[in-house]
Amino acid sequence: MIGREEGHVRMRTLQCVVLLVFALLLGRAGYLQLVDRRYVELAKANVLRHVVQYPPRGEVFDRRGEYLVQSRECYDLMVISREIGKQGFDTARMCEVLGLPRPRLERELANARMRPRAPHLIASYISKEDKLRFDECNFPGFYTVFRTVRQYPRKIGGNLLGYVGEVNADMLKRYPSYRAGDYAGMSGVELAYEHCLKGEKGVRIQEIDTHGAVKGSYMNGMYDSLPEPGRYLVSTIDARLQLLGEELMRGKVGAAVAIEPATGEILMMVSSPSYDPDELVGRERGNNYMKMLYNKRRPLFNRAVKAKYPPGSTFKLVQGLIGLQEGVLRPSDTHSCNMGYQVGRLKMACHAHASPLDLRFAVATSCNAYFCYVFRDILENRKYGGVKEGFDTWRDYVESFGFGRKLGSDFLDEGSGYVPDRAYYDRKYRKSWNALTVLSLSIGQDALGCTPLQLANLACIVANRGYYYIPHIVKRIEGQDSLDRRFYERHYTKVDPKHFEPIVEGMWRGVNVGGTSTAARLDGWDVCGKTGTAQNPHGRDHSTFLSFAPKDNPRIAISVYVENGGFGATIALPIASLLEEYYLTDTIRRPELFERVKNMQIYYPSYDR
Amino acid sequence: MTGSRNTSIFYGVDRLAVLLYAAIVAAGFFFITAASYEEGTGDLLSFSHFYMKQAVWIGVAGVVALVVLLLDDRYYHMLAYPAYIGGLLLLVAALLFGREVNGAKAWFEFGSVRMQPVEFAKIATALALARVMSEYSFSIDRPSDLVRVGTVICLPLAIIVLQNDTGSGIVLGSFLFVLYREGLNKWLCIPVLLIATLFIVSFLLSPLTLLVLSIIACTLSEAMMNGRWRSRIIYLATVALASILLAALTALTMPDGGLGLYGSLLAVTLLSLVGVVIYAVRAQLGNTLLVVALFVGSMIFLPTTDYIFNSILKEHQRNRILSFLGIVSDPLGTDYNVNQSKIAIGSGGFWGKGFLEGTQIKYGFVPERHTDFIFCTVGEEWGFVGVGAVLALLCLLILRLMRMGERQQEPFGRIYCYCVAAILLFHVLVNVGMTVGLMPVMGIPLPFLSYGGSSLIAFTILLFIAVRLDASTRQFSPSI
Repeated sequence: MIGREEGHVRMRTLQCVVLLVFALLLGRAGYLQLVDRRYVELAKANVLRHVVQYPPRGEVFDRRGEYLVQSRECYDLMVISREIGKQGFDTARMCEVLGLPRPRLERELANARMRPRAPHLIASYISKEDKLRFDECNFPGFYTVFRTVRQYPRKIGGNLLGYVGEVNADMLKRYPSYRAGDYAGMSGVELAYEHCLKGEKGVRIQEIDTHGAVKGSYMNGMYDSLPEPGRYLVSTIDARLQLLGEELMRGKVGAAVAIEPATGEILMMVSSPSYDPDELVGRERGNNYMKMLYNKRRPLFNRAVKAKYPPGSTFKLVQGLIGLQEGVLRPSDTHSCNMGYQVGRLKMACHAHASPLDLRFAVATSCNAYFCYVFRDILENRKYGGVKEGFDTWRDYVESFGFGRKLGSDFLDEGSGYVPDRAYYDRKYRKSWNALTVLSLSIGQDALGCTPLQLANLACIVANRGYYYIPHIVKRIEGQDSLDRRFYERHYTKVDPKHFEPIVEGMWRGVNVGGTSTAARLDGWDVCGKTGTAQNPHGRDHSTFLSFAPKDNPRIAISVYVENGGFGATIALPIASLLEEYYLTDTIRRPELFERVKNMQIYYPSYDR
Repeated sequence: MTGSRNTSIFYGVDRLAVLLYAAIVAAGFFFITAASYEEGTGDLLSFSHFYMKQAVWIGVAGVVALVVLLLDDRYYHMLAYPAYIGGLLLLVAALLFGREVNGAKAWFEFGSVRMQPVEFAKIATALALARVMSEYSFSIDRPSDLVRVGTVICLPLAIIVLQNDTGSGIVLGSFLFVLYREGLNKWLCIPVLLIATLFIVSFLLSPLTLLVLSIIACTLSEAMMNGRWRSRIIYLATVALASILLAALTALTMPDGGLGLYGSLLAVTLLSLVGVVIYAVRAQLGNTLLVVALFVGSMIFLPTTDYIFNSILKEHQRNRILSFLGIVSDPLGTDYNVNQSKIAIGSGGFWGKGFLEGTQIKYGFVPERHTDFIFCTVGEEWGFVGVGAVLALLCLLILRLMRMGERQQEPFGRIYCYCVAAILLFHVLVNVGMTVGLMPVMGIPLPFLSYGGSSLIAFTILLFIAVRLDASTRQFSPSI
């Protein structure tokens, strides 16, 4: 027994213990409720489900208003397992209606049973027709969700338009606005104009219970939003020209690009081999994509903007222009060519033609020797004190023509090509090199690499007599008055416009008087052209042709590049000529040429081995 | 027992306690309604709803409270032992014939009504404890009396643990609170608490650390009781030195590495205990003997904690303890309940979301939301304000019970009131502590608030016996 005093002290102690216990509990509750705000978010995450409503993606038209890309409605098939009911449903009939393989349906149903009250995706890309038939059958527990997929009425412009795919983990990390299951442009126009085409998703916020069953809308739909459709684009592409280009390029590897010189609008951009863009839509997309990825001709590689091709003789135009601007060449200067250019043991071969010859004739007949003289004169110009300094000057000129750098078009995956610089040759020749060492640059060989787009741009520059607009593929965006400013600015080269006339004259003569390009002649259209035959270490020469028409106020500039096609006049020239004819006159008057070119197949040991 | 007894049975009844009780029960009904209300179920007054059932139980509880108040206080004194024996028999019967719910074989089932004898065994134990400790010859300092007290508490506890209802069993441990009030030497309380803590923590510590800690704790508390610090410290040093020497010696002589430090320390300590016992008997130091008994008891316990942990505790209990101690973390498994409960309470904020607006409650994210986790409804729908109010009510009731105990003239009444306060305090601490993530999940209800007939009626009886005893005291001596 203890005394009263001691008892009192102990009572007080125990009272303190009681108060302490309650203070502890209250303090902890206060910490959870007032200090740690995490729990509010966690509670929302528990109870709210954001149901996404997908917007239709913007469509793409060609320059005449014809559909290049359409959005087609399709449906995702969802199921809430618990609502199927005990008696089940006719699985065989569902498989038949929707064209689903039965094992897959059963597998998905088994997955859905794991969370019986939550919506579960069974299959995507259900067509509208299937959906209507499905609705008639009235399967309990199943429902469809609206989405859109791409459809290509003309089945053209695979690489140009690009494809749409489900966003991957990498994109999700970089762009937080995307959610898993969203579709986004993966290449081409779809990627470059993703921000216009995608539209805004709508959202419906629902309250769900612990089993995932929907209980109602959150705050009476105060935070819900409707989907906003993507904006449409009017492209600069001429669908009919594009179709013809793809037809003509079939069976060849290469690219063809046509630009309207007065605006820089890309009329046609063919990369061959191409593919049917519809193949990259829908359930078979994955398989088709893998097939294309492993195809040795690489149909997914957009050669028109990415490939680096030696420009061959077409580069002589640039050479001549630089020579004129530098004052080392006058149009009337003549050089003699005796089947080539020879200095000591070095010999640059040429074909048979009249000699000596002036600049116009040299362009028309594509004389190698003439431009070797020009190139040497540019590099060995006394003004600069040395070949290497002269080379730097030459390179600056070349770059001003858009070579060796990205043109800044609206194609995000545009390649830059390659123009070798001093450092490159210093490394290659251990600093001991001169004009003769790099002589093959004069005829567009050596380490030069140009994209077909850059070559078409060169055709534009010559056609415009000295300037170009940045080539672009979009003419108008819905809800926007104009494009980016850079597409409306003239970009001048470092060569004065007055020097262009003799070159143009040479190109005109090559087609209309006598030269390498006479087959490109179109009566009444004053076609100007320049062939190119680029040697390459991997087999037959590449065939290329560069042209514009008409000579005055040109409406189209075009570059065609066919890998291993032989002489420029063999294959690239007829393709370019047929395209020009079709664009300018809307008809083809040479059906036998068309048939011959279309059916021409080139054997590619380097790809098909 | 002389004096003029007032004819009204309500005379002397502590109004505040009854008022607090009524307020808490009403609040409980309110929260159960919120927790079990389902939109779209047609008949609001149908008896399939938990809140309607609870309303019936509240009515029954009212009648029971009246009956308890009607009985003369002498009956409780008289009936203490028979009730205790009856309670033990009920527990054993439940163990043998009961129904298993959630892994605990602790329920009787009569039709649709389920009853847990533990709830009533608590009352019986409280009464028996009060009776034992209020005997005239009882002295808390006498070891033999302490052993009797220990027996009264541990007998039902053992049966409850056998029923696999460890949570409810541990409630009886809260009587330490009462023992302290009745003069139990605080230096005995502290090692008891310490060893209880060590028992929980023993999954974290190595056996050697545990042994060293308990030796130091026991020796120091003994020194605090008896003084003579010098000799105790010399004793500690000797034990340490001897065990190190023994460990080294055996390591050198025995081929298999000897006893090791743990083995030697255990051996030396147990050997030295013989000397300690002889010394204590000669010096007539009873509490030294108690500490030795405590130490030996805990030594039997501690090496067997692993055994207890792995065989007596069920898988889910083990997981709860491990999860609580942070050894395993599994938000969707064992932690799920506590996590959801914390989310519900935490999302309530200061003012709460309002009646029937608690999404975590309404949509079933909180498990057991009308029984063990009823506090989540308070936290989510009424926020910090509601939590504060409910805790304040409970706290006031407990303090009131202690106050009522203090004004008793008979030790029986005082001890009983303290028992009730201790049981309530423990329930509140463990239940609320569990919902806010301070305590491991032990399925014990929140008094008066959780849904459940047997629990409500048992707590009502428990409380109103105290009110009755208190009222009687005041009927005879109204001056107090």
